[in-house]
Amino acid sequence: MSGLVSTPGSQLQRRDRFRAYMRAFNPTAPAPGVIKAGLVCEDLHRFLFRNLAGRADLEPGSQQLLVGGIGSGKTTELLLARRWLRDQGHVLPFYIDISKATDLAELNTGSLVASFGVALARHFTNDFDDYKRDPELRKKLGQPFDEVWTYAYGKRETVWVPREDLASGPDVDDLEDEEGYYAVRNVPGKLKPPLPALRRDVQHTRAPLEKFLTAARETHKEIVVIFDGLDRLLDATKFWSVAQQDLRLFRELKVSVLATAPLSVLFRVGVAQSISDHFDRVQHLPVIAADPENGSLRSVLEKRRGSELLSDQDADSICHYSGGVLRDLISLSRDAAEEAYVSDHDSITVADVEKVVHQLGIGYLRGLGPGAIETLLNLQSSKSFQIDQAANVELLVTRRVLEYSSTDFRVHPALLSVIPRPESKSA
Amino acid sequence: MPEFLSQPSVEIARRLELRGGNAWIAVLSPPGGPALALDELRTELRSILQISARVLPLGTATFEGLREALQQPNDDAVLLSAGADLTPEKWSSLDIMRSALERTGPVILWLAPNDVANLTQFAPNIRSFIGGSIFIAAPDGGIMTEEDRQRRVKELEKQYQLTNGEIVRRAESKQLPPEPHFVEWLVLIGRGDLV
Repeated sequence: MSGLVSTPGSQLQRRDRFRAYMRAFNPTAPAPGVIKAGLVCEDLHRFLFRNLAGRADLEPGSQQLLVGGIGSGKTTELLLARRWLRDQGHVLPFYIDISKATDLAELNTGSLVASFGVALARHFTNDFDDYKRDPELRKKLGQPFDEVWTYAYGKRETVWVPREDLASGPDVDDLEDEEGYYAVRNVPGKLKPPLPALRRDVQHTRAPLEKFLTAARETHKEIVVIFDGLDRLLDATKFWSVAQQDLRLFRELKVSVLATAPLSVLFRVGVAQSISDHFDRVQHLPVIAADPENGSLRSVLEKRRGSELLSDQDADSICHYSGGVLRDLISLSRDAAEEAYVSDHDSITVADVEKVVHQLGIGYLRGLGPGAIETLLNLQSSKSFQIDQAANVELLVTRRVLEYSSTDFRVHPALLSVIPRPESKSA
Repeated sequence: MPEFLSQPSVEIARRLELRGGNAWIAVLSPPGGPALALDELRTELRSILQISARVLPLGTATFEGLREALQQPNDDAVLLSAGADLTPEKWSSLDIMRSALERTGPVILWLAPNDVANLTQFAPNIRSFIGGSIFIAAPDGGIMTEEDRQRRVKELEKQYQLTNGEIVRRAESKQLPPEPHFVEWLVLIGRGDLV
């Protein structure tokens, strides 16, 4: 399969071949472009996006949660759901990556409502021709627009500061008006970082949102909002603190919600709530087993024309060592090609695959203490894994441990291949 | 145990050129002269990718400032320099904002060798983007041959009057000071996992 390439012409051909392959296997390419290029296997999760989107359409105000590990393909499913909803014609879907809009580390109650309000308002001002042509509509939505914008981004306002609110001192004694004075202060919005922990009730923005929704429903029967990025809140407590109040308002407004959540919400470590009590549906996106009977992972490679550079054997090896984590599968495929290219191979070799699997494994290994390594080795030998322990949830969240089902946990195969064994320590 | 691939700056730049858009990698600074190595990588990126390359320190960056810096422009090469002052909390904040960091041009995380543990532990979303693309910037900008490696290990053994085995034992029992020479030593003998 491998060999040195000698002539300039064949070098160029070789380079084009590798570059085309690597364009198809780009693990960090934005998902919309990947979908548009036809590189996604839409049936990979049994058309999950259709189920999610269908329910959002049929049950206005329904709330569904998509829970999955890092790199499992959540964003792709949500974007496919948006496309499906758009295709129905009567649905107006909004896709919002909340972690792009605001600093999630400082996220507080009201942020989801605020970002939805901004998206809805922008729909009218940017995308809606009638709004531009119709002065009546502009008049009708002008004030709600200002209210939504202020709620999201804040404002400056003049306030009266009564004398009794001030501590005594020389400045107070100098006041011209004995009763107090006017001051200009900033009222922070919900989306402008850094955000203080405000306690403003999200109901405050209900009225302007309803005006926009009424206008939107004149052309679209159903409104669906898709919140991506909430899975970055790896700490389930933070997720709940952000989501609870906002989601209640969306239900009242009959706006269907699809949202991502971190894996940790499934295991209730540190939180009392059960997600099934709060959501109409919780869909877990598991990793995909690389068992020989299950050809799903191979189909991902084939969809991207992996056989251009990968032999069957190497493709199987990459599927195995990815552990079924989609992003790792794409990364290993790309990295193996890169190794082959810089090593002057014509196509990917066993040695190239071994090298990149090792690199990935070492990346997972770094930062693991002796206790965590012992847990992983125990999991490997005894298949037992206590998911109610915070340290073990962390292993799951960081993808060192993969969950194939509620009773089937395994060490990431690339990590397993590099874990130092007790024997090697004594050697 | 083998380590991350050691690559000179020119090879790292070539890999990025081959990958095309939206590339993410991490580069571990070599012990000794990290500032020089960073400058060398920046020069190679400019030369091979034919785009400008900026260094942005992560330690002092705010969400808004970093997002703006990465998007304006979004097609040059950016080296995000972690520095020793990057706390676990800061790593977590960066991880949460990964979407805001996404851009067309390449993103190169410039890390000290012991930062990889923090990256993996506190920034799993960013680590997922990096995947196995973690390279060690080869010392002095060239590929270290096996002969070079052995010679350097012998120098270190002589200087500290210790053997490879003793270094490993001390590192395993957490009794090895985090000095650059010991980090280099462990990396050279393939036990960078103990750093």
